[in-house]
Amino acid sequence: MTRKKRPARKAKRSRPPRRPWVRRALVGLILFTLGLGAGLLGPWIWWLDREAGLRFADRQFSQSSRVYARALELHDGLHLGANDLVVELEAAGLRAGDARTIGRYSRNGNRFDIHLPGFRFADGDQSAQRVQLELSGQRVRLTGSDGSALVRVPPAEIGSLMPLDERDRTVVALADFPPLLVTGVQAVEDRQFRHHHGLDPRGMVRAAWINLRHGRVTQGGSTITQQLVKNLFLTPDRSFVRKFNEAVMALSLERRFSKGEILEAYLNEVYLGQDGTHAIHGFGRASEYYFGVPVQSLDVAQIALLVGMARGASWYHPVRNPERARARRDQVLAMFLETGLIDQDVHDRSVAANLGVSAASVRRSSRHAGFIDLVRRQLRADYRDRDLRGTGLRIFTTLSPSAQQQAERALRDGLSRVEREDGELQGAIVLAEPSTGELRALVGDRHSGRAGFNRALDARRSVGSVIKPFLYLLALADPQNFTLVTPLEDEALSVPIPGHDPWQPRNHDGTSHGTVPLMEALAMSYNQATVRLGLEIGVAPLLRLMEQLGVVPGTDPHPSVFLGSVSLTPMQVAQLYQPLASEGYSTTLKAISEVVDADGRSIGRYPMRLRPIRDREALSLLDFALRHAVTDGTGRSLSAMLENDPGIRGKTGTTNDRRDAWFVGYTRDWLGVVWVGRDDHAPAGIGGASGAMPVWAELFSSLPLRTYSPGWPEGIEWYWIDWPAPLLARESCEGAVAIPFAAGSQPSELSPCMDEGSRRRPFWRR
Amino acid sequence: MSRYWQLVFILTLAALLTACATQPPAPVEDRSVAEQVRAPAAEQASGLQVYPLRNPAVTELTDAARAAENAGDLDRTTILLERALRIEPRDPELLQYMAEVQLEKGAWDQAENYASRSFDVGPRVGELCQRNWRTIALARERQDRDDAARRARERLAQCQVEVPERF
Repeated sequence: MTRKKRPARKAKRSRPPRRPWVRRALVGLILFTLGLGAGLLGPWIWWLDREAGLRFADRQFSQSSRVYARALELHDGLHLGANDLVVELEAAGLRAGDARTIGRYSRNGNRFDIHLPGFRFADGDQSAQRVQLELSGQRVRLTGSDGSALVRVPPAEIGSLMPLDERDRTVVALADFPPLLVTGVQAVEDRQFRHHHGLDPRGMVRAAWINLRHGRVTQGGSTITQQLVKNLFLTPDRSFVRKFNEAVMALSLERRFSKGEILEAYLNEVYLGQDGTHAIHGFGRASEYYFGVPVQSLDVAQIALLVGMARGASWYHPVRNPERARARRDQVLAMFLETGLIDQDVHDRSVAANLGVSAASVRRSSRHAGFIDLVRRQLRADYRDRDLRGTGLRIFTTLSPSAQQQAERALRDGLSRVEREDGELQGAIVLAEPSTGELRALVGDRHSGRAGFNRALDARRSVGSVIKPFLYLLALADPQNFTLVTPLEDEALSVPIPGHDPWQPRNHDGTSHGTVPLMEALAMSYNQATVRLGLEIGVAPLLRLMEQLGVVPGTDPHPSVFLGSVSLTPMQVAQLYQPLASEGYSTTLKAISEVVDADGRSIGRYPMRLRPIRDREALSLLDFALRHAVTDGTGRSLSAMLENDPGIRGKTGTTNDRRDAWFVGYTRDWLGVVWVGRDDHAPAGIGGASGAMPVWAELFSSLPLRTYSPGWPEGIEWYWIDWPAPLLARESCEGAVAIPFAAGSQPSELSPCMDEGSRRRPFWRR
Repeated sequence: MSRYWQLVFILTLAALLTACATQPPAPVEDRSVAEQVRAPAAEQASGLQVYPLRNPAVTELTDAARAAENAGDLDRTTILLERALRIEPRDPELLQYMAEVQLEKGAWDQAENYASRSFDVGPRVGELCQRNWRTIALARERQDRDDAARRARERLAQCQVEVPERF
């Protein structure tokens, strides 16, 4: 066939008249191809150019919203242990070292020298400053600060709310990066960056030559601009079309934007690792993630490590592949030396330094899972999800890192001491500051850091006797009928329940105690006396009171409510007790103090709001009874567990078949709720005093405690009482006890001891 | 003679010294029954507590709050006072200052509540007591709670009276 055609072609060529037609066709084809090319490619390039310009100009780096702990305010007289201070400083990203460097502190016994990094607080900036202080007897004394009586430690970052694309970054302005990082990145990634127009042909040729020699791709000739374009706009596949797009867009960016803008975008965009499901982008976040410090505080070796990781964050991961990461870092340090960025001395010291990154030092996002869970819920009540994520909000919370650590430890250690078999029990702790309602710690699982079922917020458990104080509060609010010495009958009783068998409540110890004063019935948690009191008060008022205090019990009005058959979460119990612990001023427990947008404007404040409870006299009487419960009632074993008692008030709670154990106790500075029980609701063989109080004591023995002496409202008067009889006595009567009363409600009958006294008078005084 | 003067001197001295002896307190039995049965508060009543030494950090925050107030920035004043209250949650002066800032902001209920808290933990007499009740009265008037406001005015008048004696 081919043979046949060849002569035919030759024949055609030999025929001159047909030539112009062929030429014309060929030219036409070429012109058509060129036209088509220009027609298609032109718009394509035009589109790429426009797109690169527009998308770069409106790029908004989605930033995760950062959640911060409360900022520790250091001032004279602050109650703080040295170990707690270390916990606070470490949580805030400071590290032991030479305090001449920002972000380092040194400790010499009880003397601290701290170089705090600067921080943009919600109410103003605090620049980096050095402060010296001394701790004596758990009290802070500032010995050197720049003339101020108080200094705030920048708050610890305790978590973040991720944007929807799961890219985590802390955007840093070009001027705020350390100069060595900015020049170092150029020295390693793109030495011609200052001079090229987006593409570096020489670099490409060199890379191609090296790759050819090695027989594989070892060097990319991409400029920083090309890498940025790839990260920002393109998929990571390796194809000619993508390469072409990348080149066009790189040229376009260079034409439209300054080198500074491009470099800043690159430094904030480059991929530097993975934190669980979140991708870490940019040196700002990487510095915080790997070293726990702001990018400004990085040293030479740390900069070299991060710059080296830009080439392959998982290949050179310092925790997973430490040897490879170290070799890469040293290679980068050599490049720094070669280009004159550092001198030989710094190079040698940096090469000798450790990586300074370990699995433990890397900031884990699940560290404060339980508290972040609460923060997210409280935010969700006020903000839309898409406003919370991706816009770089800064959320200031009330968490105290040191108290949180103590609470986690107390639950872990306390439970392993009280349980019958290993791992049987679970528990929860809510710790708040009563007067402000600010939550300082929240533990919802004995394994801290495990994000899952948050018992502090979600475990609804029978509260048992923990409810009793509220019934007694209602009684005491009616001083004409009830005082702390009103006799109650602790005798067996049968309560008719329509449609059911009558209810016969029993005491925990199985015996009845006869006539007891009201305060004793509460302190000893006698069930039968309490039910008798409850029947006089009624179920409805009790449920109404709980609602007034911000807790919706949602339960049937069965009289067993008097004994705590109602199920509440530890958080709800804390809310109920908050006004008791703050002398009658109720406020909603809160985890968030302020939300600030990325530009530093406050977009939501959660101010301190007080709401007085009407019966403050009754509350102060109840407070007195709850002190009695700790010193002489069901909580009396506390003194053996806690070395120093600054005046703790508290109430134990135990439920049927010993399934749940509660202890709620408060001092001037802290309100602590502890629940202990089994997740499967099986009997756990524990009671409030034996199961929950040891955990509570474990926690409170590690908190700084101030002596608690509440004030007494107007209208409270004190009388000597012939305890336990409701009779007035005098100080000299044997066993007389001073008891507070709402003015006018004191008993009127006198104790026989008053007569004895007058009979014993010497004759010349009669 | 000298022995006579000696005796006179000693007697005079003795007579003079007897004047120095204080009147012995009335025995418990002589007080009225009402007084006998009254007991002192088990813990010191904070109502009469004084705060001679103020935390310098609180002073600094209060000064900054005052500066912010003078500059017309009431939000910042509130933030600074909240920080101070976190350090000293029961300082009656601070609480009253906060009440007055709330009054300026028109947050009547918070003004009343802070003033009432200040009264509870404060001296309940004298200048601070007057400020407490004046704030409460004003806040109530603004909310058209006239009866409650009148009661506050009456209580305000009692601030000048000595605090009722307590044992």
